[in-house]
Amino acid sequence: MLLENPFVPYLARVENTLDLTPDIKLMSLTLENPEVRESFDYRPGQFAFLSAFGVGEAPFGLTSVAYRRGPLEFAIRRIGTVTSALQELEAGALVGVRGPFGNYFPLDDYKTKSIYIIGGGIAMAPLRPVINTILDHRADYSELMIINGARTPQDLVFANEFDTWSAAPRTRLELTVDRGDEAWHGRVALVPAVVKELKLPPDNAIAITCGPPIMIKLVLVELKALGFNPRQVVTTLEGKMKCGLGKCARCNVGDKYICKDGPVFTFEQISRFIEQF
Amino acid sequence: MTQVIAKNELLRWLEGLSRERRLVAPVRTDSLTLFQTTGKVEEIALDFTNTTLSPKEWFFPATEALFSLERKDGTVELVPNTVDRETVIFGIRPCDASGLIILDKAFLAAPADAQYQQHRSRAALVGIACTSACPECFCTSMGTAPDDASHVDILLTPTGESYTIQVLTEKGKTLLARATVREAEVAPAKPPAVNRVPTENISEVMKRAFETPYWNRLADRCIHCNLCAYVCPVCYCFDIRDYTARRKVVRVRSWESCQSPGFTRIAGGYDPRPTKGAKLRQRFYHKLLYMSEQLGVVGCTGCGRCVRSCPVNIDIREIITDIQKVGARNVA
Repeated sequence: MLLENPFVPYLARVENTLDLTPDIKLMSLTLENPEVRESFDYRPGQFAFLSAFGVGEAPFGLTSVAYRRGPLEFAIRRIGTVTSALQELEAGALVGVRGPFGNYFPLDDYKTKSIYIIGGGIAMAPLRPVINTILDHRADYSELMIINGARTPQDLVFANEFDTWSAAPRTRLELTVDRGDEAWHGRVALVPAVVKELKLPPDNAIAITCGPPIMIKLVLVELKALGFNPRQVVTTLEGKMKCGLGKCARCNVGDKYICKDGPVFTFEQISRFIEQF
Repeated sequence: MTQVIAKNELLRWLEGLSRERRLVAPVRTDSLTLFQTTGKVEEIALDFTNTTLSPKEWFFPATEALFSLERKDGTVELVPNTVDRETVIFGIRPCDASGLIILDKAFLAAPADAQYQQHRSRAALVGIACTSACPECFCTSMGTAPDDASHVDILLTPTGESYTIQVLTEKGKTLLARATVREAEVAPAKPPAVNRVPTENISEVMKRAFETPYWNRLADRCIHCNLCAYVCPVCYCFDIRDYTARRKVVRVRSWESCQSPGFTRIAGGYDPRPTKGAKLRQRFYHKLLYMSEQLGVVGCTGCGRCVRSCPVNIDIREIITDIQKVGARNVA
């Protein structure tokens, strides 16, 4: 990492913002310092802290992919003081970026395998770079199944990319909502129920899941019932975090710090503390 | 032959040091003995058993700016807070010095905490060996001792009206160069007896005591006052917040405790550790098991401050004793 003092962020400018859902915005940021911009490298699953100066700092998954060399993208849901302040920023505003932190999905190890992406709500944000990396290197992987759930049809994130995803070869996108509306003709079911119904085959496959803790736990139950080994199921955990360096101890669970030992874990790695999460 | 310094020479030496650097020493204020910056060496307390607070705050302050944001001519600059004063911490006890070693493991592990690193590298430690122990002390059960010289630059041991001197580091040697010392034949001081706590194998035992109603029962009386964390020479959990003053934004770090409501609550309100029992269990698991797994050392020095401070008598010595029994029962 480049940061000399790991608490002092890089400055970045808001390039543009895009409403993804009524309460989620995609923010595209460009680092101010050209040298930093050049060397800021990251992998799917890593995260960074964003500062709304004067309000505070919070961690967000990087939802862009580094190799496309574009701006840094973050999907931000308005849920607290920092996220509300960030959402109010317009193009040209200055923010702080501190990172990248944490480990990442070892996508190279997943080559030749089938990949099942199982996400709920805003948790699709850290999964989007996994999807895009696989789509950009489609021949390296076997089947790709994306299960994307949300509370209502309006809450499905990255809807503007659904056509691209489902048009890709050997790629299937399954959308589901907790509550439909008149315009919705798709599935109305909870994500774990969809996993059960689709009978995802565990052979030579990796399941990657992220969502609210209760969803993650129930998805694991369904995957186990389908014959998945905990080593084949990967998640990215959320935790209260202040530093990202494994020091503030806020995200400590068992012998792990989510920020530095994670956020990406196999269920085998977290079996000892999954019930505490 | 041992190096010895008379009490008046010691004070003269400290006075000299205080003129060229910051001198931090125990000073009595009402019923409290606290490490304070002092230039008046006559106010230094030399007859304390241990200070009310450990000198942790001189390395990891209760509240400290990490950086400030300054707006100048339409541009923005982030200015890191820097520590430039050389400091001598005089009167640190061996248990508190061993606490700093644990903080080093947490804060200096890469990427190092720049702020802590600066405080640490600009400070010298002049320790005083204990000649008496508090009833709550149990340092010898936690790998240190009343006469442990291993984590300070200089260790003084009171012998009558004088102090015998052990110089442990180059830094200590340089500091002491200005003191008037003499060589004398002194019988080694006998360290005081310290109460024992059954800490043998405690991290292993903890592994078998997670699922027990013990923690909930114990936590029923906790009032989340956080004193245990604030008086602890090892507790290092922290919070980070922004403060705005005029055109300046300051990002500030402050002490926090795993017992605070909201310590683990994430955006949206979900809290993976919502109950008193789960919070209290975390305190003792972090210290007695997780820190030994992560840092290779148990997160307690046996200073006894949390025992003295807790308004509801939650006593780590009692917990360790009880957990030995619970763990023994739960052997699979």
